[in-house]
Amino acid sequence: MDNSLFTTLTRQSGLMREMQTVANNIANLSTTGFRAEGVIFAEYVAELEGVNGGGLSMANASGRLVQMRQGELDPTGGSFDFAIEGDGFFLLQTPDGDNLTRAGSFMPGATGELVNPDGYMLLDAGGAPIFVPPDAQSISLARDGTLSADGRPVALLGLWQPVDQSDLAHRDGVRFAVAGEMEPVLDATILQGFLENSNVDPVSQIARMIEVQRAYEMGQGFLEREDERVRGFLRTVGAQV
Amino acid sequence: MRALMIAATGMSAQQMRVEVISNNLANMNTTGYNARRADFVDLLYQQETRAGTISASDGSVVPAGVQLGLGVRPAAVSMNVAQGSLSQTGGDLDVAIEGRGYLEVTLPSGLPAYTRDGSLNRTGDGLIVTSEGFAVAPGITVPDDARNISINAQGEVFAYFNDRVEPEQLGQFSLVNFSNDRGLEAMGSNMFIETAASGPAILGDPGEDGLGTLRQGYLEDSSVDAVREITDLIEAQRGYELNAKVITAADQMLGATTQIR
Repeated sequence: MDNSLFTTLTRQSGLMREMQTVANNIANLSTTGFRAEGVIFAEYVAELEGVNGGGLSMANASGRLVQMRQGELDPTGGSFDFAIEGDGFFLLQTPDGDNLTRAGSFMPGATGELVNPDGYMLLDAGGAPIFVPPDAQSISLARDGTLSADGRPVALLGLWQPVDQSDLAHRDGVRFAVAGEMEPVLDATILQGFLENSNVDPVSQIARMIEVQRAYEMGQGFLEREDERVRGFLRTVGAQV
Repeated sequence: MRALMIAATGMSAQQMRVEVISNNLANMNTTGYNARRADFVDLLYQQETRAGTISASDGSVVPAGVQLGLGVRPAAVSMNVAQGSLSQTGGDLDVAIEGRGYLEVTLPSGLPAYTRDGSLNRTGDGLIVTSEGFAVAPGITVPDDARNISINAQGEVFAYFNDRVEPEQLGQFSLVNFSNDRGLEAMGSNMFIETAASGPAILGDPGEDGLGTLRQGYLEDSSVDAVREITDLIEAQRGYELNAKVITAADQMLGATTQIR
């Protein structure tokens, strides 16, 4: 095959990936604490034989970007519904290490420990599980993260973030795994009775989807014309013989 | 193509949300009903290019990599445990629970169930039962000749008689608490049963150990907020349409692919 076809193919498969990312963002339109993702294309230059100082440039979907824009806060009134205003994540204890999440929908488990809907324990500022007394009548959370049951403080909720902002790998269940170091966040506030919505902006996602679709069709049109060109060349050369 | 499947998970999630909303709206006037909410989480991610893999011979690493999500799944339909407003009915066997706690009901099988619906009745023998006819623990019987009965905040039931001045105490309703109310399993007819997630039932007297108090002559309304449900319904409908648009676009991309040759 011709090099021009290879170049277009890398572009097309990258666009397919981006379409999948857009579809995932839109599917998670109402997922509490979800962060939208984007694909970054980078130029990939392949050396060509017999060409000095030049190469074949290809577009490669090589990276991704997690959008950290604040999602809207949705008043739910639940006493264990927490929303973060500002930077930072809640820390969860999971079988594959401590994970971060922005989804603040928690509930007390059978023994009073605070867990998320998947049953992973929420950890406090010191990294210990949080227990709520089962006979507590009122649970209140101060904006700095102090959780009190009937006026007595029981825990201090901590917020964390990775030292390297791009060091966030998506895990299922609106979790993020961090490979490097984590540091506490001091200036964010936690609100009780609110949940943070998904930060997917439907308008920009739909616009991006149309863009991806048209670019893909353009690529296919190019492939078609390239195919015709080669065919025409063969026909002409074939007729000469 | 995966975008089609992903959008399909999004559509079924929004559809489930509409189902939860319609159940809430249908139970707008159900005594003691707590609104439910569908919680969603994202599905697992495919690692196309792993972050941290070495990208060049000098040891440079890929900083973010490529991860492709596979859609959304429902994580929980959680109950918003909130006190509903109390409406006055004047019925002598209507009791509302103010604060936390459930009335214990004995099912025909002998197992306990729990309810916040305090619209109670009497059987022919005078036993106090729920509107479904199940006995309310600890099983209080009202004598035939009782003129009227009163239930105080601590759940003590007193009967007044025509031939006596002093009331007679018939018994005391107990309330039951759980460390995780949301973990209870709803079994219809306003009743719940205990699960491993809810923790064991903690029995107590009304007004003690964090339990609420009883109020005679009142019933607890449904905690469904119609305005909130309708705005959620609009959101769910638009979300459904957006996912359908993705399916159309992905389909057209596939169409373009098949047309080349």
